[in-house]
Amino acid sequence: MAEKRKYARKYCKYCEAKVEFMDYKETKMLKHSLSERYKIMPRRLTGNCKRHQEMVELTIKRARAAALIPYVVNTKQVIATPFDLLNQ
Amino acid sequence: MRHYELLTVLKPTLTEEETRAKVNFLKEVLEKNGAQIAAFQEMGTRRLAYPIEKLERGYYSVFYFTAPTTAILEVERLIRITEEFIRFMSVKYEKTKELAYWNRQVEKFASKVEKEVKIEETLKEESPKETTTQDLVSEEVVSVVETEVETEEVKATQE
Repeated sequence: MAEKRKYARKYCKYCEAKVEFMDYKETKMLKHSLSERYKIMPRRLTGNCKRHQEMVELTIKRARAAALIPYVVNTKQVIATPFDLLNQ
Repeated sequence: MRHYELLTVLKPTLTEEETRAKVNFLKEVLEKNGAQIAAFQEMGTRRLAYPIEKLERGYYSVFYFTAPTTAILEVERLIRITEEFIRFMSVKYEKTKELAYWNRQVEKFASKVEKEVKIEETLKEESPKETTTQDLVSEEVVSVVETEVETEEVKATQE
């Protein structure tokens, strides 16, 4: 007998929301796929499907270039509440 | 003719008139190069995620337009020359799903502009008493629409 699952099964949140196109100006959408330090989270941790992960990658990179999302958050430039940047 | 979106970030140190002049300058350049502007979105001054040229803030504005490919080259060249633009981003919309989103964005912002124009017209034509009520109504409608959109987004993110 297989052990019972401790956590809920991962699923693609973008598939559930039926996202067809991601706009890099809407940074709220990317929140699931960013770590606290604004790294792109891997698919194995978020549960995103391949198609949406590729869209996420592209949109995050665009948003970074447009200065909507930071490239890095390190100890030199600490932000108290990092995700407030998204909710502007 | 292809569908494009052009986001530009202007220096926050400019006065209102200067920023407007720069935006109009972009508009003229686009139209001169055979672009048809479908919509204009003003995102306003907002905090940059990281300092650019030691600036903490930037004025964001977005154009949605259709243009021949050569227009983009020319516009980007001019933006690079002009010092007031600290960042720009042009995105091409080609696939059907992307185009659908482009059309939705255009409708969203073009209709807003039309509404504003209509309000101004009514202000000119009608007496101030009536216009105030109409203004309120239209503003309410806009706010309702916006809240609906927001709730949808929230739902999407929560789910």
